[in-house]
Amino acid sequence: MLVLYETAMGYCLFKMSDSVTKMEESQVRKEFESPESANKLQLKALHRFTSTATAVEDMTAIQEGKLGPGLKKFLTDEVVGKGKGKDSLLVVDKHLATSISKKLSIKVAASDSEYEEIWRGIRSQLAALLDGLDPKDLATMSLGLGHSLSRFKIKFSPDKVDTMVVQAIALLDDLDKEVNIYAMRVKEWYGWHFPEMAKIIVDNIAYAKVIRAMGFRTNASSTSLASILPEDLEAVLKAAAEISMGTEISDSDMEHINSLCEQVISISAYRTQLSEYLRNRMTAIAPNLTALVGELVGARLISHAGSLLNLAKHSASTVQILGAEKALFRALKTKHDTPKYGLIYHASLIGQAPPKLKGKMARMVAAKAALSTRVDALADSDEKSAADAPSIGIGHRAKLESRLRALEYQDGASGVRRFGDHSQKQQKFQMSGEAKLYNTQADLVPTQRESPMETAIKVVLDVKEEKKRAKEERKAKKKAEKEKAQESVDAMDVDGEEKEEKKKRKRRESDVNGEAEEDATKQETEEERKARKKARKAEKAAAASAQTNGDSTKKKKKKSDA
Amino acid sequence: MAFGASGGRGGFGGRGRGGGGDRGGRGGGRGGGRGGAVRGGGVRGRGGGGGRGAPGGRGGRGGPRGGRGGRGGGPKGGSNVILEPHRHPGVFIAKGKESLLVTKNLVPGESVYGEKRISIDGGVEGTKVEYRVWNPFRSKLAAGVLGGLDNIFIAPGKKVLYLGAASGTSVSHVADIVGPDGIVYAVEFSLRSGRDLINMAKKRTNVIPIVEDARMPTKYRMLLSQVDVIFADVAQPDQARIVTLNAEHFLKDGGHVVISIKASCIDSTSPPEVVFAREVETLQNNRFKALEQVPLEPYERDHAMVSAVYLRHKAKKNA
Repeated sequence: MLVLYETAMGYCLFKMSDSVTKMEESQVRKEFESPESANKLQLKALHRFTSTATAVEDMTAIQEGKLGPGLKKFLTDEVVGKGKGKDSLLVVDKHLATSISKKLSIKVAASDSEYEEIWRGIRSQLAALLDGLDPKDLATMSLGLGHSLSRFKIKFSPDKVDTMVVQAIALLDDLDKEVNIYAMRVKEWYGWHFPEMAKIIVDNIAYAKVIRAMGFRTNASSTSLASILPEDLEAVLKAAAEISMGTEISDSDMEHINSLCEQVISISAYRTQLSEYLRNRMTAIAPNLTALVGELVGARLISHAGSLLNLAKHSASTVQILGAEKALFRALKTKHDTPKYGLIYHASLIGQAPPKLKGKMARMVAAKAALSTRVDALADSDEKSAADAPSIGIGHRAKLESRLRALEYQDGASGVRRFGDHSQKQQKFQMSGEAKLYNTQADLVPTQRESPMETAIKVVLDVKEEKKRAKEERKAKKKAEKEKAQESVDAMDVDGEEKEEKKKRKRRESDVNGEAEEDATKQETEEERKARKKARKAEKAAAASAQTNGDSTKKKKKKSDA
Repeated sequence: MAFGASGGRGGFGGRGRGGGGDRGGRGGGRGGGRGGAVRGGGVRGRGGGGGRGAPGGRGGRGGPRGGRGGRGGGPKGGSNVILEPHRHPGVFIAKGKESLLVTKNLVPGESVYGEKRISIDGGVEGTKVEYRVWNPFRSKLAAGVLGGLDNIFIAPGKKVLYLGAASGTSVSHVADIVGPDGIVYAVEFSLRSGRDLINMAKKRTNVIPIVEDARMPTKYRMLLSQVDVIFADVAQPDQARIVTLNAEHFLKDGGHVVISIKASCIDSTSPPEVVFAREVETLQNNRFKALEQVPLEPYERDHAMVSAVYLRHKAKKNA
């Protein structure tokens, strides 16, 4: 029997007496115990790698269970060429064994555990078997080969395309964070100069653009913001600028605010560019997944799994909760319900679903996403670039959408009636004769638009009021703090003060209340006066008539009383 | 890092190196409870080496460490670090202000991951030997050593198969221990970490980097000879299986394995002790004889280090 053994130096072919294969494991171990006893094997041929490049080429082939050119030549020369084709060959790797037997039609034996002890024996006595080979030599060889193989592996990594997506989505998140931080700073800073603007322009980018175009708020009337803002907002802004209560700032301040605005604008511009790049990459790498869940969620899933192939290896249930690991493990530990969704929650299909159906939808989307990913990961590259590449993803999406609609209908209907409940059958339609009129009340009456000046004033007042409120709050807080501080110094003293303050507060309150009450009383008295006048008139009239007729006066009096 | 720099510059033995100081600070910061590395150096630097960075350094350094030891000052220069061999051959203890675990630097003059270095006078006058501080918070093997492992089996001249080498921080220390006569086969699957590992291995010729999956030992069979010890820090649910597979291929009869087990990586629902016991049992069923088990507290939470001996004559049990 022949034995093929691979080392960093090259291939070794040993001739082994057949008795070894029939030995017990312990016997084999004894055979290889010392260099002297390991004589059942004889080196027949040795193939040294001529250079590192050929070594790497051959070794990468072997790692994949394929026949490298060096090994092929070696085996054809030494086994087939020398007429030893009938001898069976022992190989470590069974994948390699099958490819050898297919290509060279050599009888190859390979097994996982049966020959384990033989391989171990050869490894332990390799120096002796190779006729006094210096182990140091072998170590240097394997050092060189180890380095070059690893470098090769990193250089030609199969998921380098996925890495781009992973990095891009990470950068996208970073940019979002950064833009937000900068925009907040801009608002805070420029807010000193024109505090009302933050109320009028909510959008961060538009805010920065307006500042860049306008500069000082005094320039508001002379700059055109038509390209940045809608007409009505622009009018409101200009009106607010006229009556703003912001402080004045210097040119150098403005310069810095401007450069910050530039940052915000350029970063957000780059962000759109990046997201475009990400979309292109995602549709190229994973067309079906992108069609199903969108490029952002798809990219996040890939980035979480590490690569597209890794994601394809995940089960649908794993895909469903990818990104919710913390919650999952907490739930497992405490024996609570596991989370229903992770990253996949942000897919639009799940966003559409009503809260009750979100979990169900997440499960279905995850199942389809797992299938789509597998298609994407294992399809050929030219298949992926075809126009109908995302057909599976689109099909899944349509199916899920219709399923969602069906579920929603079922869910909505079940609240009204149950299936099989015959008592509430839909009644046959009959003309009842009652004409239903159009309800004009239900119409939305468009209210008149407020003039820009009015809104501006409102905004200004709003801001003022807010500041006032904040000031009062601050004052109250200060007072409270003072009180606390004094309390610690002298509790008795504070008691008195507190009472005083309470009194003061009460007085103030009563003042306010009093005014209101006074107003009310005024109105009341006027009414009363009128009533009294009337009554007086009636009395006078009654008195006059009483002189003529005493009985009637009584009646009339009663009436007036009533 | 400002205050790290001052400590670093004063450094052990007063070599004027700027770059390393910054990293020294980082190591100390992470050390937290121990953090001795930086303090020892800093104090001495101020006392003996002349106060180049002292005024600024003192204020900054006092803060995070509660000001302890800030004023005491080292009596003499960097020479008051006493080096003692550890129980484990190849590992040393540097006794200065505080005791530190160190290994002899195989490549003098360079840090691998920003760790502190200590130069100590060698046997002959004028020669210096450089040692690198081994932070137990960053290396599980160091944590195991400090945790009181009786034997780490990694010693000068040994051949070690290191599974889960990551960026090669711990591997560099193992390479220091085994010395130029030993070999470390460092296996790491991740390409990103593998990149750093290769860069580290460029400087240390006794480290053979292997960027492969440790689950498939046949993929790197041609690079390995028989090894004396397998150290595994792979943090995978099938860790025991991975170790067994590698042992079947490469570990000599009577060789040893040292495994760091992270309980939450194997089963997050069972208590750690149960997980450890289960892993040890798996090893026992696969021709290993467990020798000892040490928890890695306080350096890591719910970790244990287990050592075992490989006995080929032991019968395999199917659990």
